[in-house]
Amino acid sequence: MPLKEKVGVFESYDRARSGPRVDEKEWDRKITFQTANKLKEKYKLKFDRSVIIPTDTDMIDRLYQAGLEMLVEMGIYCMDTGRVIKYTEDEVMMAAANAPCQVTLGEGRDARQLAGRNFDDPHPPLCQGGPTGAPVSENIFIAMHEAYAQEPLVDTIVNGVLSTINGREPKPGSPWEIAAVKAEVSMIRMAMARAGRPGMAM
Amino acid sequence: MRPSDSHEVSQLNELKIDINAFTFTAHYKIAGNIIMGEQMPILGGWAGGIEETSIVDVATSLAAFILLDVDWHLDGPIHVRWGNTTAREPLMVAGHACRALDRNTHLLLGNQYYTSAGPCTEMCLLEAAAQAITDTGSGREIMSGCASAKGVALDYTTAMEARLMAHAAKAVAGVETEKVNVMLDKLISMYETNFKKPPKGKSFQECYNVSTLTPSDEYLQVFDKAIKTMQKIGFDFKI
Repeated sequence: MPLKEKVGVFESYDRARSGPRVDEKEWDRKITFQTANKLKEKYKLKFDRSVIIPTDTDMIDRLYQAGLEMLVEMGIYCMDTGRVIKYTEDEVMMAAANAPCQVTLGEGRDARQLAGRNFDDPHPPLCQGGPTGAPVSENIFIAMHEAYAQEPLVDTIVNGVLSTINGREPKPGSPWEIAAVKAEVSMIRMAMARAGRPGMAM
Repeated sequence: MRPSDSHEVSQLNELKIDINAFTFTAHYKIAGNIIMGEQMPILGGWAGGIEETSIVDVATSLAAFILLDVDWHLDGPIHVRWGNTTAREPLMVAGHACRALDRNTHLLLGNQYYTSAGPCTEMCLLEAAAQAITDTGSGREIMSGCASAKGVALDYTTAMEARLMAHAAKAVAGVETEKVNVMLDKLISMYETNFKKPPKGKSFQECYNVSTLTPSDEYLQVFDKAIKTMQKIGFDFKI
């Protein structure tokens, strides 16, 4: 029987409020480890430490099946409700099948296609350059991001985090955090514009 | 932000989420934004070792597309002791999980970079290169980095690390996996014994002329040295 509809964020939230209750410590310390260990044995997964990228396609498929089975068997734990969000295998497969094959990051001449590639593709992945969440001083924030934006092989920007905003600590959950996040976006946009790439994505 | 920017939402370790994630993802969804799910499975954490963490990595990557309806997923297997993504074990997790997903789905997958060493050190560049090579050779669509010096030191990241990532990816795209693995094994062996005391390197202000935004001669020499080191073990860099 075909599925009624694709599961997404709204249905997942509803399930987070109605799924089976589980103790968080049990989830972390028992269920996760035991399930991973059981599936490792079931699918006979043992990796060679000199092989970073596997070539044994049978083993690669067994790893995929183990991961899929883990998601369906365990589900996802919602910390705020103490309940488990459960999915069927068909629902997971449908979500994966309906996921985009390509998206456009950025605008105009600075836009980049994030498109599917395979392991043996002669074209390299996109390069998203930036401090990747590392702390950056307020007085050099624009300059540091401009240095990334001016690199010809950098396609999009991944931002750093302001260590201060107007000299204040952007404490999580405070108004200063919001001010810092808003400033980060406008300063990165300024850095891209200064590098002559105003349409870059972040 | 613009709809064509990647709007990030983080999953939690391992196979967990909170209500806040649903709330702002709903906003992203209704606004028609591109959504990027992010999660960094911990090697040596709740799941256990390399194989177990790889299983979790496949599960959590798949989960992003049903739980949060994301457009693409940003991975980042991280070593519980070293706090980096560039040690042999997290690279194995990333390489194996990505090949499993690449072969069985068309999902758009990325990986984020945390090196132990800091900017202006050869070790930092070799770490970033090893991960770029792993990501390229396992089929990922996007690399995101680099949080040098584990991403915790103030101003210890520079664009030179990203430049190296891009060149390393170009050097191995399309090369046979068996050949890539042999070179990767040699490359990782060159830095993996230094995680206890990695060189901190230099800050952005020390690596760049902050007015002209040009890298220092010292960093350019370190960059050249790293390229030559990788050429010696077989990587075909054309710079």
